[in-house]
Amino acid sequence: MKVTIRGLVLAGLLCGLAFALAACGGSSSSNSGSSGASSSGSSGLKPALDGSGQNLTNGKKGGTLTVYDHEDFSHLDPGQSYFSLDYEVIYATQRPLYQFSPDSSTKEVPDFASGPPTVTDGGKTVTVHVRSGVKFSPPVNRAATSKDVAYAIERGANPNVSNPYFPAYFKYIQGADKATGGPISGISTPDNNTIVFHLTGPYGTFFVGALSLPLTAPVPKEFAAPLDAKKPTAYGASSLAETGPYMVKSDSKGKFIGIGYQPGKSATLVRNPNWDPKTDFRPAYLDQININIGGDPNVIGRQVLTGSHVLQNDTPAGPIVKLAYQKYYNQLVAVPGAGDHYVALNNHTGPFSNVNVRKALWAALDREAMIKADGGQVVAQVATHFIYPTSAGYSQSGGDHGPNVDYNNYPAGNATVAAKYMKLAGYSTGKYTGSATVKVVGSTGDPADKTAAILNHAVQSLGFKTNFTLVDQSVMYTKYCGDPKQEIDACPNVGWIRDWADPQTLLDPTFAGYNIVPTDNSNWGQVGYPDWPKAAGGPYTGGPLTPIDQEMKAAEKTVGDTARAAAWAKVDNMLVSQAVAVPWVFDKQANIEAKDVRGINDLWNIGSWDYDFTSLK
Amino acid sequence: MSVGASELLVEGEATLDAVELAPGEITARSPGQLFWRRFRADRVAMVSAGFIVLLILIAIFAPLIVKLLGLPGPAVQNTNLTDAFGTPLGPSAAHPFGVDPLGEDVLSRVIYGTRVSLEVGIIGTFMATVVGVVLGLIAGFYRGGPDTIISRFADIVLSFPILLLGIGIAAACAVNGCLGGLIQPGVPTILAIIVISGWTYIFRITRGQVLSLREKEFVEAARSLGASNKRIMFKEILPNLVAPIIVYASLLIPTNILFEAALSFLGVGVKPPTASWGQMIADATPTFDTVWWYMLFPGIALLLTVLAFNLVGDGLQDALNPKADR
Amino acid sequence: MLRYIVRRLLWGIVLLIAVIAITFVIFYLLPNVDPAILRAGRNSSPKIIAQISHDLGTDKPVYTQFWDYLKNLVLHFNLGYSYQSQASVKSLILDRLPATISLTVGAVVLWLAAGIPVGIVSAIKRRSLLDRSAMGAALVFVSAPVYWLGLLMLFMFASDIGRFPISFLHGSGSYTGLTNSPINWFESLLMPWFVLAATSAAIYARLLRGSLIDVMGEDYIRTARAKGLRERTVVMKHGLRSAITPLVTVLGLDIAILLGGAVLTEAVFNIPGIGRLNFDAITHGDFPIIQGTITLAAIFIIIANILVDIAYAYLDPRVRYS
Repeated sequence: MKVTIRGLVLAGLLCGLAFALAACGGSSSSNSGSSGASSSGSSGLKPALDGSGQNLTNGKKGGTLTVYDHEDFSHLDPGQSYFSLDYEVIYATQRPLYQFSPDSSTKEVPDFASGPPTVTDGGKTVTVHVRSGVKFSPPVNRAATSKDVAYAIERGANPNVSNPYFPAYFKYIQGADKATGGPISGISTPDNNTIVFHLTGPYGTFFVGALSLPLTAPVPKEFAAPLDAKKPTAYGASSLAETGPYMVKSDSKGKFIGIGYQPGKSATLVRNPNWDPKTDFRPAYLDQININIGGDPNVIGRQVLTGSHVLQNDTPAGPIVKLAYQKYYNQLVAVPGAGDHYVALNNHTGPFSNVNVRKALWAALDREAMIKADGGQVVAQVATHFIYPTSAGYSQSGGDHGPNVDYNNYPAGNATVAAKYMKLAGYSTGKYTGSATVKVVGSTGDPADKTAAILNHAVQSLGFKTNFTLVDQSVMYTKYCGDPKQEIDACPNVGWIRDWADPQTLLDPTFAGYNIVPTDNSNWGQVGYPDWPKAAGGPYTGGPLTPIDQEMKAAEKTVGDTARAAAWAKVDNMLVSQAVAVPWVFDKQANIEAKDVRGINDLWNIGSWDYDFTSLK
Repeated sequence: MSVGASELLVEGEATLDAVELAPGEITARSPGQLFWRRFRADRVAMVSAGFIVLLILIAIFAPLIVKLLGLPGPAVQNTNLTDAFGTPLGPSAAHPFGVDPLGEDVLSRVIYGTRVSLEVGIIGTFMATVVGVVLGLIAGFYRGGPDTIISRFADIVLSFPILLLGIGIAAACAVNGCLGGLIQPGVPTILAIIVISGWTYIFRITRGQVLSLREKEFVEAARSLGASNKRIMFKEILPNLVAPIIVYASLLIPTNILFEAALSFLGVGVKPPTASWGQMIADATPTFDTVWWYMLFPGIALLLTVLAFNLVGDGLQDALNPKADR
Repeated sequence: MLRYIVRRLLWGIVLLIAVIAITFVIFYLLPNVDPAILRAGRNSSPKIIAQISHDLGTDKPVYTQFWDYLKNLVLHFNLGYSYQSQASVKSLILDRLPATISLTVGAVVLWLAAGIPVGIVSAIKRRSLLDRSAMGAALVFVSAPVYWLGLLMLFMFASDIGRFPISFLHGSGSYTGLTNSPINWFESLLMPWFVLAATSAAIYARLLRGSLIDVMGEDYIRTARAKGLRERTVVMKHGLRSAITPLVTVLGLDIAILLGGAVLTEAVFNIPGIGRLNFDAITHGDFPIIQGTITLAAIFIIIANILVDIAYAYLDPRVRYS
């Protein structure tokens, strides 16, 4: 089961469990203008449509779209949602300060904001003006103001809400580190149409990206605060107030549970009566969206391909992708830039703390076999470094081919190169001769279990004995790969999806030594923190930084999109030169629709459907 | 009566209890020879027994057989045998049962899968039987306190939904093992679950038998000759129980094989690269409508194996209890 | 009799508490996800995690947690909240129960309707071709793993992916609530019912056959025959009545176990029942749901056992005094 969580989360989910096959994919062309050739063109398949050149205007108005979701939503609260599936509903029902235009991963457009943000004071102050005339859905029925945005962000720090990315991106606001739900000193609202963020440093350019996240959608305090007092909050679990073109069907008190949402079964989005199209850039062609949850992806896929006014929301099953590609070519979209997966290697302890052993594994790993197991080149591309296609810095850091180093040059694996690095690591036969057993923890579910098995095979080919285990994906992340104390040597199924196109959201949470934490750690390989775990407990507080970390700290403060891309591309190259992990797939999100649906994909959101632009033919 | 129905594991046991334990039904005194002769006369059971011997040989000589058939090993990956979408190729001369999504040979894995099934079926049953017999002897012989404690404990075990519990324990022991590494993941964990849940069934049968046997003259005689309790239990009573225990244990084997397959099917049993039929069926599930061979052949292997054990168990039971005349 | 029932009920309660306690201990040790970490999100400070742990009560010692759990269960029938979705376990179970009940009831009806006649005919026409083929088929069904049988059925006959599609046999994941659409409900459950019933019908047929053969050898049957009653009457009126008793007791337990969740069948046919709920919870380490579903299943089993025991005591007075 897939579930595409963002950021931290579990790109692995993309390539899900029991019934979902392919899903993760590699594209041959990318929107960021990098090279177009597929890196592994052995079978020379024509690439699938990739969602570029979508027509966002002149859609037919009206009608009801049926959506099949094989997975359920996780959260409908803009303060809690973090899954791609949730985002589809959130961005149709809520209005964050900014949004990305569906046809680009970099074009940020004002949503609740009335214009672009103003960054002043050397990047330390960000000012945003918001629109008038944006009203909350019934029963709130009043105009949303900048104060509602302030409350929305503040509640993100409330333990009952516990926004998943607040600590990563909203930490830049002064006073945010101590916030627990009350007012934050660095947020001020001089009037109802203005909100000002005072930051702890010159992070303004980067921070404005975070203003497109759902957390910035206004939340009416008088309605939400009583719900937020519950542990956990009931806002978004039973009742909700919306500002977007659509709302989850609710009763007169704003309660939707059992009305517009039956967990595990269905959800219904209807037009928000208080939405004024004059305040919005979104056409919102559809009248209603019925979402069916559950079902066998093999069956759903066929129903969608042969059906009418219907599309599938999450990753289609492998055989369905193949069927669609062969017989319904125009109904399949495989959107690049849907995340990446790599083999996290324990840089701190065990055999992989030796850089040459890591390089040997990189050389030995048959990444093409993994791509095949992942659904083939229509939906997957061999990864060659860490910044993935459609992200800023992709071409600067090597594009499709990636850095030209011998361990990276053989996507199908090369035993000779592997042996060379094993010798450099001190094993004169080219094979490991010690007694260590390598602990490999992968994720259950197809095809993650297959790709994990291929990695396991590669580790064994270096002469290691392995202790190979597959566990549920969330258990893999939180209990094993994300817990440094477990000392897992290799995690083949970890992956990452950026929060927005800035490459910092890709590399900083996953490879910065100063981000290592004792629980739910997302620097799975514990890269770049030689003192770990001496600092036992708690995040980085000081002390010497590794060269990679120093480079990241510099890149974090870099201003200007081009300069930032170059700075982070340099970080990427350093990560490759140290072989801190072995990247194996640049994911592509496959989507299918009925022939009479003009579906629009959010290229910034791993290509998920955008209900605000999708129309019926 | 056979035990079966992986969904209703407890049921099989209850079935046996209810039917077979009617007092006096089991004549423990039937001489072994008679028993054997009757069993031999049962052609179906004999053929099944032959099949089981064959399975055991296959399990032992799996590497040799795979080599003789010219097949790759069970964990040899070869993605050249999958198409551009990762769909594996079907049955062919080189791969009679086709290959799986990793390009591993399905026949080779089916052959190796025999090992896990037999290991779990036979060893697991043996362990559960030993525990059940010992506890049954103690409870039936001493009665009173020990009997109450053990029987109550059995009641508790029988109140659990065994499959659900099994899934839970198997998941709990999946990575680092359980009880400080005493129970390792994979087959050892499954064996532990089988012992935990399976002993009650043998225990109840043994206890019932001992309760009636301990009043018999030969036990009285031994006691009057000053034999120790231990001696009476193991030298006097136990030999009389061997035949019924073998019969009932034989009926546990297919249940345990299905149990392992069910756990592996649910992803908490034996894990790849070790080949297990249940795990293969689970792995085939997402694509079974196209990659049918990956689902079909392990299932047939499982069906035939369980069927053979059931038939032998039936035959043993008939031979032991000719009155039923089935 | 009353005293026996009371004693039996008390013991049932003790059993239930023991089951709940053991489940609690086992799954407390399960490598599940720390719910606080799950809720806290990325890069959370240890302070926030501690705060959430405190709110959830997971920082208390295990016996306190157990006591709280038991108290909530007894006083409010509150089974706690899911770690993953934060939904109330009670509501999740109530939500899933209809599917499981639908599956169980239909399967039970089907297997009795198939198993009893086959058992009777086989017993009467012992050693006939009919008997032999029926019992042979029964043994095959007993030996077939239910999930594999399910996949085969889908592969052959499902209306969506079957090689020989039958329009009213809906495939995996087609389950619809009875109240939503009775026809779809019925059609979506036909295959699961059949698959689940196949094995049990086989077991019941074999069980009834054996039991009927035993009974037909009894003296009173001979007497009945001697009185000149028609064989049909002898079998149906005299033989079956006592031969069916063991079936009734087994049936009680079977129903209880299936109500606790038919994990395998629900998995193959993607039926959102208790079994799926439990299985998903175990793979996600969602402790409150695991505890809730196992407790529920144990309650069913224990009640069934009590009912069976009472029925036995009613039928056979000796039991009461043992």
